[in-house]
Amino acid sequence: MDKEYLIEKWLKDELSDAEKEAFKKLDDYQFNMDIIENAKHFKASHFSEINNYNVFKKRYDKQNTPVVKLNWVRPLLKIASVVVITLGIYFTFFFNNLTKVQTLASEKTIIELPDQSQVTLNALSFIKYNKRNWDDNRSLKLDGEAYFKVAKGKKFDIITHDGIVTVVGTQFNVKQRNNYFEVTCFEGVVRVSSDTITRQLMAGDSYRIINNIFSQNKTTSVIPSWTNNISSFEGVTIKEVVAELERQYNIRVTFKNVNTERLFSGGFIHNNLESALISITQPMNMTYELSKSGQVIIHGKKN
Amino acid sequence: MPKDLNHNICKETVFERIYNKYSKDLHNYLYYKYGAQLNPNDKAQDAFIKLWDNCKKVTIDKAKSFLFTVANNMMLNEIKHQKVVLKHQKTNPKDYTNETPEFILEKEQFLERYTIALSNLNEEQRVAFLLNKVEGKKHNEIADMLGITKKVVEYRIYTAYNKLKTELEGFKI
Repeated sequence: MDKEYLIEKWLKDELSDAEKEAFKKLDDYQFNMDIIENAKHFKASHFSEINNYNVFKKRYDKQNTPVVKLNWVRPLLKIASVVVITLGIYFTFFFNNLTKVQTLASEKTIIELPDQSQVTLNALSFIKYNKRNWDDNRSLKLDGEAYFKVAKGKKFDIITHDGIVTVVGTQFNVKQRNNYFEVTCFEGVVRVSSDTITRQLMAGDSYRIINNIFSQNKTTSVIPSWTNNISSFEGVTIKEVVAELERQYNIRVTFKNVNTERLFSGGFIHNNLESALISITQPMNMTYELSKSGQVIIHGKKN
Repeated sequence: MPKDLNHNICKETVFERIYNKYSKDLHNYLYYKYGAQLNPNDKAQDAFIKLWDNCKKVTIDKAKSFLFTVANNMMLNEIKHQKVVLKHQKTNPKDYTNETPEFILEKEQFLERYTIALSNLNEEQRVAFLLNKVEGKKHNEIADMLGITKKVVEYRIYTAYNKLKTELEGFKI
């Protein structure tokens, strides 16, 4: 029988009795047996063994406790980092070191800017500026009316919805209400630009855009009268005059039979409503009604 | 909740059963394939740890192949071309009182040669050969363990044997 065939079957442990006999008679029978016999010297358990279950379990438990301990740290760190990043973004983009000042109805306030410039805010007005880099960039946003005393220094910009006022060391008033943009210079030089109209104002000049109509005027006052608690107007619509009255007294006024486009020149005080109402209505041949709840109705006289 | 609680590896009694069933074979497989240096005991246990950690995802019948695959991969990650060194047990001279010193020396040399020959074998052939001839595992058992066919097992053992025979030619009496 073929030697290789016998060895093959021997390795598979599939020798028949007859084949076993033939295998024993092979010339390298002893050698074959030696090889297989001595393989036992390489048995794994003589050199290495796996731990039994109890030892394994102890090891597993030991490995798992530190993991459990840290399990709450990781998610906590993740949450913390999200919070920090959110705050960081918020403060960088939204907080932005902007200082905001808002006056309510019948409120006035004076603000000092980092360069000692002064801003007096009239009622229902709002300014916004960056305190941090003020010395490099003197620029603020205004909504409403404010009187500025600007310290000498770099260019100073007031940005309003209807125009930009640029100054270098002056005193001037900026009024920006609904469809009403007016700048009056009291000292120094002021440049005003709105859309395409740019003017340079000297002391006593005023620049006006009311309902998209531009006009230039002069004034003899040295400061705006509202800083002395009097509002004064020169050829201004009743509508605008009463709007200022509402702001100063925090009231609502309704008109009956009144042409609100009529022009008014005059003024009213800020601390006595009745007196103020008389000042407005009498010269215009109008009457008023003042209810207990503070509602005012102005009647136009029928002519 | 798994449908069949008795077949859920996460249950400790089930896991312990699996551990006792496969731990020795897994360890021996690793030892024969990769030798003692890379600590087959630790690696085998690590594979069981991974099994328990993933107990929800592995069913009982997939447990064995999971263990062998994971253990194998762990070893491979560590190996980096290290030469496998199997040890052979030094024969105790006391067992051979009627043998001459020359004989004992020759035996020692034979075993050393054998060791080298085994190391030089292809891993798969070595594993199949030793599992069969040393551990006494049947061909079909080995086939099941390694995920191969019986014919492949037979081929590997046959090839391994012939290579050993060639290497040990010089010791033929």
